[in-house]
Amino acid sequence: MTTSTIRPPLERSRLAVVGGVSEGLALHLGWRVQTVRASFVGLTLLGGSGALLYLWLWALVPLVASEEDTPVRRSAPVSLIAIIAAGVAAVVVVAMAGEDAVLGWLVIVAATASAAVAWELAFDRTDPDRPLRYRLAIRFTAVGLLVLAGVAALLNRPSALAAVVAVGMIVLAVGVVVAPFVVQLWTDLMGQRAARVREVQKAEIAAHLHDSVLQTLALIQNRAEPGSEVARIARAQERELRDWLFAGEATPVDDLAASLAALAATIELDFPVRIEVVAIGASVPGHPSVVAAAREAMLNAARHAGGTVSLYLETSPESVDVFVRDRGPGFSLDDLPTDRLGVRESIIGRMERAGGTAVVRRTATGTEVHLHLEASP
Amino acid sequence: MTTVVIVDDHSIFRSGLRADLDAGLEVLGEADSVASAVALIASVNPEVVLLDVHLPDGNGALVIKQAPGPRYLALSVSDSAEDVVGVIRAGARGYITKGSSGAEVSAAVVAVASGDAVFSPRLAGFVLDAFGAPAGEQAATDEELDRLSAREQEVMRLIARGYAYKEVASELFISIKTVETHVSAVLRKLQLSSRHELTAWALERRLL
Repeated sequence: MTTSTIRPPLERSRLAVVGGVSEGLALHLGWRVQTVRASFVGLTLLGGSGALLYLWLWALVPLVASEEDTPVRRSAPVSLIAIIAAGVAAVVVVAMAGEDAVLGWLVIVAATASAAVAWELAFDRTDPDRPLRYRLAIRFTAVGLLVLAGVAALLNRPSALAAVVAVGMIVLAVGVVVAPFVVQLWTDLMGQRAARVREVQKAEIAAHLHDSVLQTLALIQNRAEPGSEVARIARAQERELRDWLFAGEATPVDDLAASLAALAATIELDFPVRIEVVAIGASVPGHPSVVAAAREAMLNAARHAGGTVSLYLETSPESVDVFVRDRGPGFSLDDLPTDRLGVRESIIGRMERAGGTAVVRRTATGTEVHLHLEASP
Repeated sequence: MTTVVIVDDHSIFRSGLRADLDAGLEVLGEADSVASAVALIASVNPEVVLLDVHLPDGNGALVIKQAPGPRYLALSVSDSAEDVVGVIRAGARGYITKGSSGAEVSAAVVAVASGDAVFSPRLAGFVLDAFGAPAGEQAATDEELDRLSAREQEVMRLIARGYAYKEVASELFISIKTVETHVSAVLRKLQLSSRHELTAWALERRLL
């Protein structure tokens, strides 16, 4: 009888020595990792097929899927090993400079040093275990070795071919210094292009919604009873849509006008009222007393007057002024019992404690609360 | 009887508005694009055109440029400074949002027809901001186009605070006629001023 074991899928681990191939293969086949590694080495020594097989698997076997895209950590310092090899070869080049055999060693220096830089650019960049200092050290050691070997070969009357290789190495060294900047520039360019495409898409959606949905929401508000449930929902919906469409990706900042507008929006949801917010002047941070007093004034207007309430905010370098005006029957401070905290305490008292003033004024057509606060020196 | 043409690319909105307008207004026709609006205005010659800022083949400002005869009242769902200032500078005599009731629109049409300017609180706020009023800038003479006079600022501030023209008049102890004169003067400045900040400011406020 056969026992059918479910093999784990063939995947490369994110905690790898080099490429994660051996470990993944071992797990998949149920072998020991050491056996797999030994097979690769053995096959490589017998004509190089092991290395090819390794590279082939590395290219084709997927990484273990992870949700937040964990970076791959590689424990073997491949770039360091390559740079050490390049260093040894460079020493040989300096010692043998002038001899014909130097050509082979020059090629080895060039190959290992570029391999180190290539590894650094391709893998170490995203590896959290390789700090920037390590990567810069790799890069500049590679440049130094390339220049050293190249110059040493050129200074000792090399053969024509060796001279070409040596010059090529110096050019390569310059390339290594420049390459990261080019790569960075390219990445930035791609990122910007993607952002622009997203921006254009959003603008197209915005234009479409602007022409259709916002119009409909405006129409609903227009046709529904002022202050009715339907009108309020349509207005809230319109505001949300607008915020999404036009706010962009700006991060929220502490801004008095924005705080008051947000407050007005929540009050509109709770009461049959429409609050028209007009703000002018430079952006200032939301002073807690002003925000709280303005909220109280808006709540009063929403409770006792309803209909349309106007909020006007003017900020200047010297002061902040907020006007909240409604068109209700109005109230006089003298009519209010002293134990009513509403206006007396939460608007006037609050502003006075903050060093400002609050004036409640009754006009023929409604009530207006004026909050005033001088900027603190 | 004031004659009106409605230019808006949404047929539902046009018919809704038409039904809501006062009996004192006669709607001569409707158009849904720049081209058809220009043709219609030329053939029926209305006193007032209710104009949507965004049209499929262009914008409201284009209609004003191509058919400069009647008086224009801009009507839009957009509250952005760029749209508001743009259409006013093109020649519209007022700007109200589509959330306004039929009665409000009708009153605004009548006001525009009689040559007055119609300023919503938001437009007044834009004007104060764009002309540097919060920073304390003030015109020295009435001829100066780039800043508002003290009186004009007072009027604009009251409108921004939600006062109707009549209430502004009683608040400042002046006649309604005087209020209207100030508002028209501000409108003129808004249209003619070469204050360079005006355009830059509106563009900056694009994401309002």
